Amino acid sequence: MEKHTFIISEKPDAAYRTAMALDSAQKARRMSYRGVPYYVATRDKKIMVVPALGHLYTVAAKGKGKSGYPVFDFEWVPRFLAEKRAQRVRTWIQAITKLSKNADTFIDACDFDIEGSIIGYCVLKYACLGKEKTAKRMKFSTLTKEDLERSYVESLPHLDFSLIEAGKVRHEVDWLYGINLSRALTLAAKSQSGKYNQLSTGRVQGPLLRFLVSREKSIRCFVPTPFWRIKAYVEIEGKRFVTEYARKAIRTRKEAQSISNACRGHGRIEKLKARQFQQFAPVPFDLGTLQVEAYNLFEYNPKTTSNAAQRLYLEALISYPRTSSQRLPPTIGYKSILQGLAHSRNFRELAADLLAKNHLRPHEGSREDPAHPAIYPTGRLPEHFKNKTEENLWELIVRRFMTTFGEPSTQESVEASIAINNYTFLLKGRHTLQQGWQRFYEPYLKLQEPVLAQLQKGQVAHFKKVVVEDRFTSPASRYNPSSLLQKMEEAGIGTKATRADIIQKLYERKYIRDERMAVTALGLEVFDVLDKYCREVVSAEMTKELEERMTSVSSNGEKREAVLAAAIGILKPALKKIKKEETEIGGALSKAIEITRFEGNSIGPCPVCKTGKLLIIRSKKSGKRFVGCTNFFKSLCNASFALPQRGTIGLQDRVCDDCGWPTIEIRVRRKVQILCFNPDCATKNNGES
Amino acid sequence: MPCPICGREAVEESFCKYHKEASDNILKKYVHWKRATGISWKGYLSQIAKNPLSGAWTKEVAQYLIKLEEKNNVKIS
Repeated sequence: MEKHTFIISEKPDAAYRTAMALDSAQKARRMSYRGVPYYVATRDKKIMVVPALGHLYTVAAKGKGKSGYPVFDFEWVPRFLAEKRAQRVRTWIQAITKLSKNADTFIDACDFDIEGSIIGYCVLKYACLGKEKTAKRMKFSTLTKEDLERSYVESLPHLDFSLIEAGKVRHEVDWLYGINLSRALTLAAKSQSGKYNQLSTGRVQGPLLRFLVSREKSIRCFVPTPFWRIKAYVEIEGKRFVTEYARKAIRTRKEAQSISNACRGHGRIEKLKARQFQQFAPVPFDLGTLQVEAYNLFEYNPKTTSNAAQRLYLEALISYPRTSSQRLPPTIGYKSILQGLAHSRNFRELAADLLAKNHLRPHEGSREDPAHPAIYPTGRLPEHFKNKTEENLWELIVRRFMTTFGEPSTQESVEASIAINNYTFLLKGRHTLQQGWQRFYEPYLKLQEPVLAQLQKGQVAHFKKVVVEDRFTSPASRYNPSSLLQKMEEAGIGTKATRADIIQKLYERKYIRDERMAVTALGLEVFDVLDKYCREVVSAEMTKELEERMTSVSSNGEKREAVLAAAIGILKPALKKIKKEETEIGGALSKAIEITRFEGNSIGPCPVCKTGKLLIIRSKKSGKRFVGCTNFFKSLCNASFALPQRGTIGLQDRVCDDCGWPTIEIRVRRKVQILCFNPDCATKNNGES
Repeated sequence: MPCPICGREAVEESFCKYHKEASDNILKKYVHWKRATGISWKGYLSQIAKNPLSGAWTKEVAQYLIKLEEKNNVKIS
């Protein structure tokens, strides 16, 4: 029987693209073995491209049936043995073993990063029965035909074992933290409440919770203090402007009032400061900056962005998105990418402008990634997009790529000082002298400040109106998915590939809620327990240190065994303390679980009795949901309201604009409706809700 | 002794650690309010209790202190 080349790919879409690129006629055949798809390409010999399904193997405790802690003995096993929901993986592994039997050459074509390397390594070692030592490695950053062919022809002679070691230790340390601490918390809560509630924490989750809790506490304990600001509406040469008193915060009402009283009539422009400055083009996207920009522009959370970017990569529209690089090496072929983009009606002119330049040189950032360049479009144009998110993201990546080749933009800022009765007001403005790179990024740029180009020293400013504004100091802003991601990057915790998932996990565990992240009672309690009994586990410094040691495994500076021993060294005393104080910890956690459940179903104060709270309740008899007052059980209030039985209910802190009663959000597929409970609300008569 | 607001364990025989921090902040910031507006302690508490920028624990402490003062006044009268 003819021997073939066996290529393992990370996912089915990538397998299809790889097979098509490698087939000499670009007509690879799609085959299937027990429902597992694979592709057969013909080149110099038969090539079988078989996909994995992401991770097929995982870390699990040695021995079955133990649910206690501590657990420090582990092994790598097929995922279906560790996770009930992963039964499909069993057939998948069987298919890989069968299809690899007659192969004489093995190539790992999974994504070239830690996760991809682990996926390929485990498949070659366990499913292909020990082929990891002889397998070659394809290294590519895009799924385009050119890149895939080149990486096949120039395959690396062996797997990157140092990267694999780093990946293994990361999975193992995360597993040790996750399984032990999560079991400790869950069992403590169960010991007191008798009910099972999955609680979890992890190596990164703990320190992340620290950031959130610290911000939450400062917001909840915040006391605003008053200050005053003075604005003046002035007219200069027939044009109206809004100016502000030079001192931004006035500490007493008396002083603010006396300044306001003194500023009547007219003043004069005493000083005019103009400053020209250059703004360089923004640097290319790495995953973090793409996630931040997509949140700022479209409010996509980091997980949505990374998923959509991954799909664009699998469609060969952009390069590999899980990169930390902000550099675009010339080898990616700037010209051919721009020539490809020039076929799009939207980018024709912009691409033509750049192609007309003698020399193309991107403005790059400082971050580097040894495995991949920054995110860039491949130059391939999409036939259609699956959704608006992918379309917006692709256009953003294309524009950002072109922007990096743009000239600096020149701006002029002007500040006019207007003097009136010994008081000074400031008028600030800015305008663009030379657009430069801004032309490529125009749809995403915000409106500028007023143009003050015509102002001159000595001009008279007529003070039409002076307003004293009552202000209060504000608490720090709550984290949103984007700012939390930035904070994680700054603190050096988590990796570019896992940060968005960890944030998502905090929502799933009900430790936080809402887009503007608020920590729940459960989140506060879990953090307090961890902080009191095992401070190292929630320490950002310790996590960063461990992170650095794990990273240095890939550069051969650190041994995997030493890192594992260090992690166990942190965990052992912490777990001992939790076990000792299980009753106290369990009591606090159980109480917090109840409060969080109550918070999660509470809509707001009852507008009927004014003392109870409205709750979403599900009738045990009929199974239907409705809204009832907590005072019902004390026979003090019998307010109850029907709820639509279809759709997902979202709680919101808003009250009805018309009657002031609490409202909820009902979401049926994509349709969102705001519902006021008041049967007598005016909005009901207007046919609105 | 439990915290009179939330029932958590109280520190220094007053509030729990969360409400204690809010209470300390309230005391500390009164000086600024007094200087800025000449407001009375009672007026300050009621301003804090209804200000949308006040933190949740701050509001709870302010409301508790208002009720406590009212109770004490009734007793005296």
